[in-house]
Amino acid sequence: MATEILTPPLTGTRAAGTAQQKVDFKSGNEAAALAARDIGFHVMGYFPITPSTEVAENLSKMQADGEHEIVMIAGDGEHGAAGICYGAALGGGRVLNATSANGLLFSLEQLPVQAGTRVPMVLNVAARAVSGPLDIRGDHSDIYFALNTGWIMLCARDPQAVYDLNFAAVRIGEHPDVRLPVIVCYDGFVTSHQKRRIEVFDDADAVRGFLGTRPEYPTPLDLEHPKTFGPYMNDPDLINNKVQLSRAMDAARTLIPAVFAELEALTGRAYPVLDAYRMRDADAAVVLLNSAAETAKETADERRALGERVGVLSPNVLRPFPTEAFRQALASVDAVTIGDRADSYGADGGNLSLEVRAALQVDRHNDTLVVSRIYGLGGKDFDAADARTFFAEAVAAGRSRTVDTPFAYHGATPGRPDRAPRPGLPPIPLDATRGMAHVQRDKSTGKLRVELEPIWKMTSVPSRIAPGHGACPGCGYFPTFHQISRVLEGDIVVLYQTGCAMVVTTGYPSTAHRVNYVHNLFQNGAATLSGLVEMYHERVRRKELPEGKDVTFVMISGDGGMDIGMGPALGAAHRNHRMMILEYDNQGYMNTGAQLSYSTPFGHRTSTSEVGTAAAGKRYHHKDTAQIFAACHLPYVFTASEGYPEDLMRKVAKAQWYAKHEGLVYGKILSFCPLNWKTTDDAAEPVLQAAIDTCFFPLYEVEHGHTALTYDPEAAGRRQAVTEWLKLMGKTRHLLKSDHAEAVTGIQAEVDRRWRRLKAMHEHPEL
Amino acid sequence: MSLPTEGFFELRFESIGGLGAHGAGQILATAAVLHMGLNGAQFSSYGSEKKGSLVRTFVRLGPAGRPVRTSAPVEAPNAIVVFHAALLRNPATFGGLRNDGLLIYNSPPGPVPEALAALPRTALAIRVDALGIAVAEKSRPNAVLLGTLCAVVPFLDSAHVRGALAEEFAGKHPEAVASNDRAFRRGATEFEVHEGVGLAEGDLPIVRPEPVWGYETQPVGGIIAEPGNTAWNDLSLSRTGWMPVLHHDKCIHCGTCDLVCPDLCLVWRDGGPDSTFERELMGVDYRYCKGCMRCVESCPTSALVREAETPGLADQLRVPQFPGFIS
Repeated sequence: MATEILTPPLTGTRAAGTAQQKVDFKSGNEAAALAARDIGFHVMGYFPITPSTEVAENLSKMQADGEHEIVMIAGDGEHGAAGICYGAALGGGRVLNATSANGLLFSLEQLPVQAGTRVPMVLNVAARAVSGPLDIRGDHSDIYFALNTGWIMLCARDPQAVYDLNFAAVRIGEHPDVRLPVIVCYDGFVTSHQKRRIEVFDDADAVRGFLGTRPEYPTPLDLEHPKTFGPYMNDPDLINNKVQLSRAMDAARTLIPAVFAELEALTGRAYPVLDAYRMRDADAAVVLLNSAAETAKETADERRALGERVGVLSPNVLRPFPTEAFRQALASVDAVTIGDRADSYGADGGNLSLEVRAALQVDRHNDTLVVSRIYGLGGKDFDAADARTFFAEAVAAGRSRTVDTPFAYHGATPGRPDRAPRPGLPPIPLDATRGMAHVQRDKSTGKLRVELEPIWKMTSVPSRIAPGHGACPGCGYFPTFHQISRVLEGDIVVLYQTGCAMVVTTGYPSTAHRVNYVHNLFQNGAATLSGLVEMYHERVRRKELPEGKDVTFVMISGDGGMDIGMGPALGAAHRNHRMMILEYDNQGYMNTGAQLSYSTPFGHRTSTSEVGTAAAGKRYHHKDTAQIFAACHLPYVFTASEGYPEDLMRKVAKAQWYAKHEGLVYGKILSFCPLNWKTTDDAAEPVLQAAIDTCFFPLYEVEHGHTALTYDPEAAGRRQAVTEWLKLMGKTRHLLKSDHAEAVTGIQAEVDRRWRRLKAMHEHPEL
Repeated sequence: MSLPTEGFFELRFESIGGLGAHGAGQILATAAVLHMGLNGAQFSSYGSEKKGSLVRTFVRLGPAGRPVRTSAPVEAPNAIVVFHAALLRNPATFGGLRNDGLLIYNSPPGPVPEALAALPRTALAIRVDALGIAVAEKSRPNAVLLGTLCAVVPFLDSAHVRGALAEEFAGKHPEAVASNDRAFRRGATEFEVHEGVGLAEGDLPIVRPEPVWGYETQPVGGIIAEPGNTAWNDLSLSRTGWMPVLHHDKCIHCGTCDLVCPDLCLVWRDGGPDSTFERELMGVDYRYCKGCMRCVESCPTSALVREAETPGLADQLRVPQFPGFIS
């Protein structure tokens, strides 16, 4: 199936398609969003993760402007998003998702479920390095995990291909002989964020004609014909289900070229299953996936000009793997360098390399030598010099008929013994951390009382975070933690869930943390810390660690981490480990560019709850995380704000006491984010004060199940209408316009309702 | 300056997050591709972008018929635009500039920066007071710098770039369209050309930072055993013209500012034997101060005041947080 291109095609000279198109200048993520708009999916289930997030962001913006009617559902995590998509797709309409890296891996167990039950949809993957350590840039370590899931996988090498292949994906996946979900993968950042000239349909009829309507497959929404979807199926049967899936892949092998040809007739753009560049008379070649192959084409031209007969192969389809096309393309090639942007550790080659080698092995007459290389991990650029090396290695192997180094990493740095990062700061003397908060238990009530030293005196406590971190000017997390740190006594071990505070403090090879620090991905931080806590106590019991140390375990999370990580956090809470969970709530997924979290209040603008003529911010009220944890019957739950430092510090001192003596404590702390609240950098105090005085964010604690307000704006005569808070932030200013009056009334009513409930609990002796 | 016969005309914008380099690159490339009949690509250096951190934006432009294949960052640019004069001190800023290249930098009038000596002898260096003009016109420095760039590079059609600039703001900020256009037009005329400031011969070498640790030296598992070594970072570049200044005579050393400072840059010491205060605020370590002014906003006695950052003022007033360790 390899299409031969002997000379580079010049844009503009190819055959025009029959559909009306227009030129645009878009990135891969924008192209995916435009395709989604033009396809008119019914539902998008998603969870933001860099670098795929912009797909949902762009669709949110277009939705606010009335450009499409896709129902967009923000999952509680990628696992939840995959579930939303599965359910929606079972319902019979067209479904879209977009993800990357550990988002794909978090949803991974859902992928075979969907393929095995044969429910089509489209998933865009902006490919990114899988953690850990956490790396946000592009490689192929995520998409390789999807190879065995039973999904069709199309590879988009540039933004144009992202746009085009989304249309092809719908057709291929929905075909009755295939009936499988489809992944369209493109390179994170390199393609997802690079703007290129593209052509998009300006021809709704042509799009409708190409896509047709989704075939009717059995659906639980067909109430006249009840069916069981997803039975319990054991040994005699499951293998037969998989034969069907395997046959669907075979059918796709035949179908895909036909769909691509039909698309080409419309657009003028060809997508052979195996893209072959200057291969017809090639002695040597490189095989690369996606954007790197394009870079190598430039270098192939350069090598050709020097008389080397070299070419480039890159698959546009990864599943089903274009086995036969590879055999044909390499039949008379002496040697090939196959570059993988992810390793299959211990297999002496990445998946692309292994599969090409397997394809060639079937051909008894093939004697192509294979050089396997791992390159470009974690977003390391692949440039012309890298391509030259790959060609040179293939040419050398072909000429010598031997491969000196069959498998190696390309482009890694050995390091120099005389180089090291800057040294750390001296250890923090433990005595200097003590004595700023005096905690006493009141014998009559059993409750704790805290006396604080004067604020000025606390300046003698060394900060547990060093300056030099990379947060935005005015960031609220650092004052929040600074206040926490002032009253925490003794040794602390922190675990940060993924988020701004993690990213800006630990950019390798530097760390702002002066105490033991652990990161785990935010779907699992609480479980991880609970394991560390229990190991500590067990090793003390076994006398492997010294007794009598004064150590407190503290998990730090954003409000985003309390969405995706809610399950493990509640698990840890129910198990009542001796640890603290402190959430800095800045009302959104700020680390990834201000997408809505469940803690984002109603009506607020985020990059996935945009404001326009057709939509006005988030459509449901903020999550009451403190009440959720209160329902776990923890010894201590509190809310606080960096705008009320003494209240916050008293609560943290109590929390530490409970975490040491009784069990898990949880605190939700309202924390300022000038960038994404759209205020000036120095506006924290008035904005936080208004959030509290309007009773949007009440300050209270729940001690052994008894709720107590620690500040009552009504009693203080400071209660204000919510508009007094909403008017202070750019992200809410739209709400003050008269056309949003109903939304504001709703916000006020919900704030009032929650406040009244809370006040009733405050007054009730049993609550 | 014209489109090269082979390859692309390549631009690199050197900036700090928040100054609008990414937006400027988008506007320029969009105008070129959609309205000037060119082919092109535009992207920015990707990290977990935070306001105030280093940002690089890349633009490639070529004739319509030349396909863009490479997606690698621009390493040997024809033109470099520096959005913040302090970036001139970083040698990587000029990395790879071609001998016949162009450098535009944002700075108020003054002596020619010594750093420009590193430029190729045959390169063109241009200064424009993008911040000054932007403030006067209620615009942003990127509009001014685009104006200068289009004035100097003839094939970049100003009318189309102004059109793209207007289009970018017409939806959300219609009030900004006219002020941006004024800023653009002032940038196109109010610049200063430096002749013969560069001393280097030929193209400048490409700068590729090497990681501090490699696979032979990196501690296994990605561990960092140097607690708090971000303290060596210098974040002065994050400030955008303003700094908090402590007036000791007004300070009552109450500690309120310290509770709200995100950058942990307020320096405290025990009061001396003659002092009435047990703890005293000594001043600001400007190495870390990003200029958010939260301390100023919180100060009950107006002892901390927002002041314009004139050259050298931060060095003069700085109180080191870790004396004897980090000077």
